[in-house]
Amino acid sequence: MSATKNVHDVRIIVFACRWCGLIGADGAGRERTALPASFRVIPVECAGFVEPDLIIRALADGVTGIAVLGCHLGGCRFSDGNHPALKRLELLRTLLDTTGIGGRRLLIGFGTAHESHQFAEMIREFHRELSELPSPGTWLAGTMKRQ
Amino acid sequence: MLDELKKKAREILKAGDAQGVLGLKRGLFDVIHPHVFTAAEELDSLVTEPKWPLAKTARAILRDRPGDFRLAVAARGCDERAVVELIKRNQIDRERILILGYTCGSEQAKACLCSRPWPEKRVAGDIVEGIDPLADDRVRPYLEGDDRARMERWAEQLRRCIKCYGCRNACPICICVPCKLEDDLWVERGAVPVEMVPFHLIRAFHLSDTCVACGACQEACPAGIPLMTLQLSMREALRKEYNYEAGLEPERTSPILSDFNREPRPGQALPDWIHTMDRKT
Repeated sequence: MSATKNVHDVRIIVFACRWCGLIGADGAGRERTALPASFRVIPVECAGFVEPDLIIRALADGVTGIAVLGCHLGGCRFSDGNHPALKRLELLRTLLDTTGIGGRRLLIGFGTAHESHQFAEMIREFHRELSELPSPGTWLAGTMKRQ
Repeated sequence: MLDELKKKAREILKAGDAQGVLGLKRGLFDVIHPHVFTAAEELDSLVTEPKWPLAKTARAILRDRPGDFRLAVAARGCDERAVVELIKRNQIDRERILILGYTCGSEQAKACLCSRPWPEKRVAGDIVEGIDPLADDRVRPYLEGDDRARMERWAEQLRRCIKCYGCRNACPICICVPCKLEDDLWVERGAVPVEMVPFHLIRAFHLSDTCVACGACQEACPAGIPLMTLQLSMREALRKEYNYEAGLEPERTSPILSDFNREPRPGQALPDWIHTMDRKT
């Protein structure tokens, strides 16, 4: 069954800000919320810390989708770290759309530390969306490290 | 137009407003090359064709000369915008540079896909309308269709890359040392064919809010990859969302570096209480 195979192919990297997103992700695990097994969380100090280059590099290395989670706009630990993050990543999304990689592979989410259910829902939804996307095919595959 | 430019350049040299004028010179055997004119008599050999982006050259000259050396640059619209971007990035001291702007003809504008073939500080030439690059036949095919179609079209183009770094070297604003494209962490060094996605997308994104659409990357590319087209959609997004265009406002930093209070975006909802958290500056 190709659909099933596709689901297993989904690999998600979650960059979660350690003040909000990460605690929410932690909470989802602690509460034993049902989650897809496809994601790995990388704690970062702030969502603004996530360079677009990192996302490009990860996509080229065969990651299916990337989520960047920060605090709510206005609730940033560092006052406005998530504003430039959102602006920059939306611009990156434009570039991904232009080149046909698909901006949908990049999720930008905001949440607070106690919103673990929101986190779970977001990841489930993202996983579902990614498994419906066509596989990156020739152009991404051709860019992975050479054999 | 050329005479007006020469006249203005002579005036500047004679008045001592600048110690040199950077422009193109028709030199020995009619070879055209960038040159710093320091004497008014010399200016007879100043030419404006072909198009030769000079912003990076101006930066290199200014870094080389003593601090009181002022340079005038015979600049097209794109040269001027590139100089503004370099000033914003502290690469050129704005006190030490003078723009002698001249316009491009409609033919040049069409060849360059230029929407703004004139400089703000214009001393010579008449303004001609630019063209809308996004509506052009040379650009539209790369922005049309679904993801799959675009991906294939771009893959077909980028596959031809021979990794000569010409796009980076020709770009008037690509100035970082060290460059990420020479770092194994981001793009495998010495590997040809190039890793398409990281190489081209990292380069393109670094210039997302800085690209002045001069087309130097595209002209330098020996494989003929339409590199400027990669930037156009991002430039358009910035124009639409923040009314920002690189190189036009020397005092305004890129909107993607500041918060939504300083650079608001229509449709971007912010909670009411955010203003109480805004830093008082």
